[in-house]
Amino acid sequence: MSTPTEEVSSENYNSAEHSPLLSEIEASLEDGKLPLKAFNDETVHELELERLFSREWIFIGHESEVPEEGDYARRYIAGDPFIFIRDMNGEIQVLFDSCRHRGTKLCRAEQGNTSHFRCPYHGWTYKNDGELVGVPQKEVAFKNLDQSEHGLHSAPRVDSYAGLVFASLSDAGESLEEHLGEFTWYLDIQFKLPDGGMEVIGEPHRWVAETNWKTGADNFAGDSYHTGFAHHSIKQLGLGGDDTVGVAGAGETKDRHIHCNGHTTSTRMVEGEDVFMTYPDEIVDLFNPDNVTSEQYTAAKEALSFTGSVFPNLAFLNFGDITDDPNKDVTGFLGLRKWRPLGPNKTEIWSWALAPKRASEETKERIYKVYMSNFGPTGNFEQDDVSIWNGITDVADSTFASQHNLELNYQMGTEQMSEVAYDEQWPGPGTVYAINLEEVGMQKFHDQWFDHLSTPLETSRRPERSECAGSSECELPEDGE
Amino acid sequence: MVNSMAVNEEQTAEIEQFLCKERVERFLYEEAALLDRREQKAWLSLLDEDIEYKAPLRITREHTNDNFSSSAYYFDEDYGSLKARVQRFESEYAWSERPPSRTRRFVSNVRASKRDDGTVEAKSYLLLYYGQGDSESYTFLAGRRKDVLRPDGETFTIAKRDVYLDHAVPKIDKISVFL
Repeated sequence: MSTPTEEVSSENYNSAEHSPLLSEIEASLEDGKLPLKAFNDETVHELELERLFSREWIFIGHESEVPEEGDYARRYIAGDPFIFIRDMNGEIQVLFDSCRHRGTKLCRAEQGNTSHFRCPYHGWTYKNDGELVGVPQKEVAFKNLDQSEHGLHSAPRVDSYAGLVFASLSDAGESLEEHLGEFTWYLDIQFKLPDGGMEVIGEPHRWVAETNWKTGADNFAGDSYHTGFAHHSIKQLGLGGDDTVGVAGAGETKDRHIHCNGHTTSTRMVEGEDVFMTYPDEIVDLFNPDNVTSEQYTAAKEALSFTGSVFPNLAFLNFGDITDDPNKDVTGFLGLRKWRPLGPNKTEIWSWALAPKRASEETKERIYKVYMSNFGPTGNFEQDDVSIWNGITDVADSTFASQHNLELNYQMGTEQMSEVAYDEQWPGPGTVYAINLEEVGMQKFHDQWFDHLSTPLETSRRPERSECAGSSECELPEDGE
Repeated sequence: MVNSMAVNEEQTAEIEQFLCKERVERFLYEEAALLDRREQKAWLSLLDEDIEYKAPLRITREHTNDNFSSSAYYFDEDYGSLKARVQRFESEYAWSERPPSRTRRFVSNVRASKRDDGTVEAKSYLLLYYGQGDSESYTFLAGRRKDVLRPDGETFTIAKRDVYLDHAVPKIDKISVFL
């Protein structure tokens, strides 16, 4: 058990009420641990909403989900509702779903296509880029209202990389480019390899689990250790190959854990072989070496799987050697997932399946089927994960855990626990562990999480009242009334 | 004479229809009981080997209340993948069903009609109680089902099942049961 250290100065934390909690967490982190209660604590959750989810780049959706002008999908940043929409100019917008008059929500569907949103309350009408174009009885009721200043609020910053659209609720901070940094080397392998790009198949799975969002994030930040045990049934029944779901560090594969710019990825590879996540030839033929560097292409070629985590709450898995039926061929699939916090003990899990856009419908169906059999609420992998994760949530708000400051151990891969070997020859960026038995990637996730929690938001980060939607430069619409 | 023959034919048709519905109900109730008793292998024997078993995602749209995805599913299964799921649930390391859940399937609002190809279309509502472990919490899944059943003497086998869940976002950690 650790006690708050003297050096932790409470003046870093803006509120005396948070100081003991944050000091306690900081002391644990320094020892490669984390207080158990961090996984189910109301104060921690509030700090996460205030200082992490309102500041960081949060995944909104993939561009292929809104292919046509006017296509939209309801999306959330933690509890806040946004409209993810492609406007009539083909630009992607992330608009706060709240009328500028009395505030109610405008979007009444999960997905659809529209040129305008009309408020059901008093009829204020907005174009699909957020511009306010209609105010009933305006000449009588609101004759001096400047419509150009009453467009729907946009998320202060919206940007995308390789089809992945992110938004930040803060107008300050590092750019998406800076946030992703060199980690794009790994994202490229997942999202840029096929000619024609990747697209989302169907609609994302969404379901609400009684777990803390950080548990899912932890799991994708380099938990190769759990695979051989938590998912032993997959191996036992021949639904996944030994090399993909076997015990970490015990097989013949070339296993790597990589930490890069605050994000993590892990891979299992077969050196010198043409593996390509065991995708069928039709997909491999779409993988064009010209779309990436030769080093990235070779990494993809040798990989059985990539799993990874983009800070804070996006994860991906490009998973191979897996099937829905031991008598059928294995394939790879690419999944994206987002851990949306709904409370300290409640997470809405969003899970997308993707395939190369130019793949045949038959192949897309097969890839989707294998994805769904293994991930999503009915997935043979995911069912077991979530059932186990709930147990963490249950004990994390126990009186015992809190009173005795029970800590979780993330020390694997540190010098105090194991021999640490790095791959100095690895062609990509980041710190590269030559073994997949390490938890330092999770420690780094916790460190960044803590940095946010212990840094108060400046009041200037609130969006300007007059900010118009539709353009980060905030240009006024030319033909506004 | 002619009229009474017509009446008899009508009555016969109605009796046949009644018998069909009675048999379908009996079958669906027995099927539910098998699953609730976790006799999943016996349940598999009720499925045709060419079974199509699907539960598409419900999609909320602005103007209609009953939209389902044409490409995203909770289940999109064939016999082989269902068999693999059953084998997994019966294996030692399927943590989602350790301990095995307690389920109660309430099957109601059954409508059955014979189809030209000799199969029977059976529509039903399903309310499924789901509880697990020593926790006080439990949940329900609700939906409607549309089956194609193949007559087998006085009982049936399942050739096709479409399950339409009522939940936009299921409030359940995992769906580790058959619907």
